[in-house]
Amino acid sequence: MKYTTFNQQNVNQLDEPMFFGNPVNVARYDQQKHSIFEKLIEKQISFFWRPEEVDVSRDQVDFQKLTESEKHIFISNLKYQTLLDSVQGRSPNIAFLPIISLPELETWVETWSFFETIHSRSYTHILRNLFTDPSSIFEDIVVNDEIKRRATDISKYYDDLIYATQLWQTQGEGVYTNDGEAYPVNMRELKKKLYLCMNSVNALEAIRFYVSFACTFAFAERELMEGNSKIIRLIARDENLHLTSTQHILNLWAKGKDDPEMAEIAEECADEAKAIFMKAVEQEKQWAEYLFQHGSMIGLNKEILCQYVEYIANQRMAVIGMGQPYDVTSNPLPWMNNYLISDNVQVAPQESEISSYLVGQIDSSVSEDDFADFEL
Amino acid sequence: MADDNTYRIDIVDTGTVTALPDKTLLESLESHNIDVQYHCREGFCGACRTKLIEGSVDYNTDPLAFIDDDEILPCCCVAKSDIKIQID
Repeated sequence: MKYTTFNQQNVNQLDEPMFFGNPVNVARYDQQKHSIFEKLIEKQISFFWRPEEVDVSRDQVDFQKLTESEKHIFISNLKYQTLLDSVQGRSPNIAFLPIISLPELETWVETWSFFETIHSRSYTHILRNLFTDPSSIFEDIVVNDEIKRRATDISKYYDDLIYATQLWQTQGEGVYTNDGEAYPVNMRELKKKLYLCMNSVNALEAIRFYVSFACTFAFAERELMEGNSKIIRLIARDENLHLTSTQHILNLWAKGKDDPEMAEIAEECADEAKAIFMKAVEQEKQWAEYLFQHGSMIGLNKEILCQYVEYIANQRMAVIGMGQPYDVTSNPLPWMNNYLISDNVQVAPQESEISSYLVGQIDSSVSEDDFADFEL
Repeated sequence: MADDNTYRIDIVDTGTVTALPDKTLLESLESHNIDVQYHCREGFCGACRTKLIEGSVDYNTDPLAFIDDDEILPCCCVAKSDIKIQID
């Protein structure tokens, strides 16, 4: 079906599924099929922040004090995070927008992606402060084997869905051959690709950032690289919200509250989806090994980081009905929670770095009691 | 209900504690040194997801995180009756 930027057919948006229904026409938010996405948009916008507001200049002095192995940990994490947000800043838009049928979901995806671009911009802000010319760091992202291996797994499901959607929207259903490879395109295949892609994105938001986050906050626990830590806290807060959105999408499907065919596919592809999640967990643990290959850092080692990854994987898999496959019951890094509290991120407006922009602060309701102590 | 208008929180395999007035369920549990995982403390991340077996709660903030029908987010709710919960 050909994509149109303004579908002139009159469709009842409340009857549409999240994906693969009619293209969205009027961007209206007074009514929602799934109100959660409207709430997520509002929450995300209230989190708006700019990297430049965070002063990272003192990190330069701290960085010089780090050991070589700690520098390797710090810079490698930034490279990996740059890769993740490079993908997330564009892919939800390109993969999901052409097939979304609800205005609130469409705008949520755009808002989500926009925030990923803020994250990307903040990595440049951090690196520019540490190096006169950060080119070699950025250039290594596309040649570093450890990062490339992860990039393949992250982008593959997006790329598959995007290509199949392009074939479907330009040529319709059928089997197409390109470079000797056959691509069957039909609605069931498209929906399967969408389901696997959403699971891969969910795993990315749930797991793939957390080894890097733990390292950043471990530096902050030693009062090192605190500007960087402030930025990563803001990023972690956003990522938590993005994860909530993919968990909602997967559960709406699985519980039959959206497209009934997606509920069938969720059951059919349950093992494959679980394997995607667990591969992300394995890769994140291997990342810890790569980080600590030249030596660990105070307060963290490979074993404890791997346990932490398994601990949060258990929680995040349970939310989407995947059970708790790992044998870790208590949080091995309890101090991490302090860095993930939303409140701790906000600062008072009189402080120099304003990071929280609250919306709807005007209270327009006035009751008679408000004048109780008022005398003429 | 306990004598002083406060509710009891029965935690499976742990024991019974009293809900503190004007505190979220999470804060009440923490004041009794009961560990509950948390991140955002604002209802949008879902890290504190807990099973509610009996009783009911009221939310001070609309919970955005995904929770199942039998689950609650202690970080943004208060007990509305005596409750029984299970912390994983």
